[in-house]
Amino acid sequence: MTISRRSLMATAGLATLAPLVRPALADTPDAVTIAWPSDVPSWDPNQRFVPDSQSIFKAVFDQPLGQDPKLKLIGNVVDKWRLADDAMSMSIEMRDDVLFHDGVKMTTADFRYTFLERVKLMPTLDIANSWRKIQDIEIESPTKATIRFSSPAPTAPQWMSFLGSYVVPKHVLEAVGAPAFAQKPVGSGPYKMVEWEQNSRIVLERNDAYWGAKPAIRRVTIQIVKDSSARVAAIQSGQVDITFGLPIRDAVRLQADAAYTATLLPVTRIILLQIRNDLNFADANVRLAAHHAIDKAALSKAFFNGAAVPLSVPASPGTPGSVPDYNFAYDPALAKSLLEKSGYSVDKPIKIGLATTNGQFPGDFDLARAIAQMWKKVGIEADVQVIEYAKYFELNRGSKLPEATLYTWDNATGDPEIFTGYLLNPKMPFSAWKGMEIGQKDMDLFNVANYDARVAGYRALNKEAVESGAAMPLLQSVITIAHKKALTYTAYDNGWVLPQTMRWG
Amino acid sequence: MRKTGWKLARRVLVSVPILLVVSFLLFAALRLLPVDPAAMSLPPTATLAEIAEKRHAMGLDRSIPAQYGIWLDEALHGRFGTSISLRRDAGALVANALPATIELAVCAMIIASALGLGGGVLLFYLRGTWVEVVGDLGTILLLSVPDFMWALLLLLVFGVLVPVLPFMGRIDPGLSVPRGSGFLLFDALSAGDFAVLRSALRHLALPALALGMAFAPAIMRVLRSSLIDVYHEDYIRQTRLRGVGEVRILLGHALKNAILPTLTLMGVQFGFLFGGTLLIEVIYGTPGIGNLMVDAVRNADLPVIQAVGLSYCVMVLAISMAIDAMVLMLDPRARAI
Repeated sequence: MTISRRSLMATAGLATLAPLVRPALADTPDAVTIAWPSDVPSWDPNQRFVPDSQSIFKAVFDQPLGQDPKLKLIGNVVDKWRLADDAMSMSIEMRDDVLFHDGVKMTTADFRYTFLERVKLMPTLDIANSWRKIQDIEIESPTKATIRFSSPAPTAPQWMSFLGSYVVPKHVLEAVGAPAFAQKPVGSGPYKMVEWEQNSRIVLERNDAYWGAKPAIRRVTIQIVKDSSARVAAIQSGQVDITFGLPIRDAVRLQADAAYTATLLPVTRIILLQIRNDLNFADANVRLAAHHAIDKAALSKAFFNGAAVPLSVPASPGTPGSVPDYNFAYDPALAKSLLEKSGYSVDKPIKIGLATTNGQFPGDFDLARAIAQMWKKVGIEADVQVIEYAKYFELNRGSKLPEATLYTWDNATGDPEIFTGYLLNPKMPFSAWKGMEIGQKDMDLFNVANYDARVAGYRALNKEAVESGAAMPLLQSVITIAHKKALTYTAYDNGWVLPQTMRWG
Repeated sequence: MRKTGWKLARRVLVSVPILLVVSFLLFAALRLLPVDPAAMSLPPTATLAEIAEKRHAMGLDRSIPAQYGIWLDEALHGRFGTSISLRRDAGALVANALPATIELAVCAMIIASALGLGGGVLLFYLRGTWVEVVGDLGTILLLSVPDFMWALLLLLVFGVLVPVLPFMGRIDPGLSVPRGSGFLLFDALSAGDFAVLRSALRHLALPALALGMAFAPAIMRVLRSSLIDVYHEDYIRQTRLRGVGEVRILLGHALKNAILPTLTLMGVQFGFLFGGTLLIEVIYGTPGIGNLMVDAVRNADLPVIQAVGLSYCVMVLAISMAIDAMVLMLDPRARAI
């Protein structure tokens, strides 16, 4: 057999290219690759409140308290706590076997540093706002301390398991400073962060000295894949083992595929219209008509495959503030008659501005357009305006939002203060509603220390706010998750996807 | 040689006012947006007094030219402001992301050049045949497909339908990124880590091909047109009369002259190619400045938008200068002017 120069060159060329076309496989028995829709803003977990980053932070850091999959508060590095009857103080007892990733023991000094000293040193940290009420943290021993508040803090335990409340190591931050820590963090969680390429990937390695249950997965690679089509392709090609935030239609399509498990999971995130109490919404008839004209079940069917639960109050079903036996009816005839009382009709419509984001959450812009169509049928002419989510607070602060804004609100705790309390408090930046008849009642509930009384108060307020047209809740949001059949994980009602709960087989 | 050096120096000097004008226009445009960087850099619960104080501290209560003066002074000292959403130095963010973009753009340009130059020569060589007609139609078709469409198409075909190439990030999950310059191929090569090198090449293949495919047809068409023009020159006829073979005339004589306008075009294309990285990086999860820019725009992160915009401008000017230098080296007529 003779080999020509040409065939030799061709063979050599193919041999060079061969390694490049090896199929890529993601899974090995103790490793998992996850396609995540967004990166962490930095590795300082106290710095920014980004709901999508919480699951990642929870893998690397510890919060004082935790939540079980049904959102019940449970101990974490703080295993005993007691909120005083007047909610002016809270005693805590920490575990004595918690080690930071550098081997140093976590004590109440770290707790005090995180929630008091650091907050005073760096007032621009997002947790500085959530813990403004802390006046002092009295250390009684390395494991015991008492938090003193300047005013009642009935949701302090909930906040101990919420956004940004992660215990950071005092000795590391004082030694290296916040900017260096934000690049190379030292946590105490079930995983250590070993590699971070911003906007590309995060590599976590199991912390074998973790005080709690050891994760089954040794190495977790989080690939940042912002494009939802690319995330669908990533799971279908087998390049990742689990992903979430897929378009609804793709999640439904994957449900029919035997190789994957795809779930549309309703979570403690709600979609609502934030409304003003002035401009053309000054008239309660118009507000109530606008609410009665929205067919929420149709919106759920059209945009969420029917998985998003229509809401009558601003709280997700099953959370303490929800009112299961209450239903705010879809009633276009009633909407028309309410508008007629105020002198408006289909032929003489009232003009309303409706702000929406485009791409902030799945289907937002289309949802707004569908609502505008529903309103048109009863005599409300909506001018749909697109705004950037980042500008919501600025516009609200300057009273520049239109009558209604399509908004999404995430509350991993499920507590009614963090739903209704924040959404309708005129003094807070989240609320477009500035009317004091509802606002004052809302603000008063911030000082109710007794849990049962507080929850009952929010339930009553929820109904009153909806019936007076101060609140227009729409749907409970759903997240879409798809993973390989052989991989299991624990689903949380607040949408957390925690690597430490994943396992093969 | 001195003349060439002087021409290049002049080009560098001209770049300075261009950069200043571009940076001012960018700055003014961003300041005219209805966005308050002071309010956005503070938590939502910040009071109006805190925002006013921050606005004053950031110099936002002064005129736009005065604000630009402050920004320029800071920029000349290597400080490009703090990212609103990431709370980190905008210059450092750009510097970290830039190598990934440059690597992607260079690989894409190599692919575009290989396809464009090879295709252009081939189309010209086969002129008058049916291949030319098919090639013509093919280039029109390729030109009409934008780069992000190529990105999705290639991802679907080679990532999902025939899953032979990875399309997420820069290397496989099991491998670690070697520390160094940020240019992954270079870092892997200098560390002698061939597993990372191979993985990085595989991960670069699809995004670079997507970008390159969008730019190859233009190169192809310009080169073919240039070759047609050059073939009307007398020296080609004389070369042919000397008995030189057609392939040698094409590759040894005509191509040298025809490639000059193609080179200029490639310089311009390279600038556009950087712009094309925006969506490609988001789709393929490449941690470059395109990805950074998309996030910055979404979060109205003005310092990052300004820093990324400026870095695009610097790169386009640098490429333009490099192309000028190449043309001066290759074309004695350009040196004589």
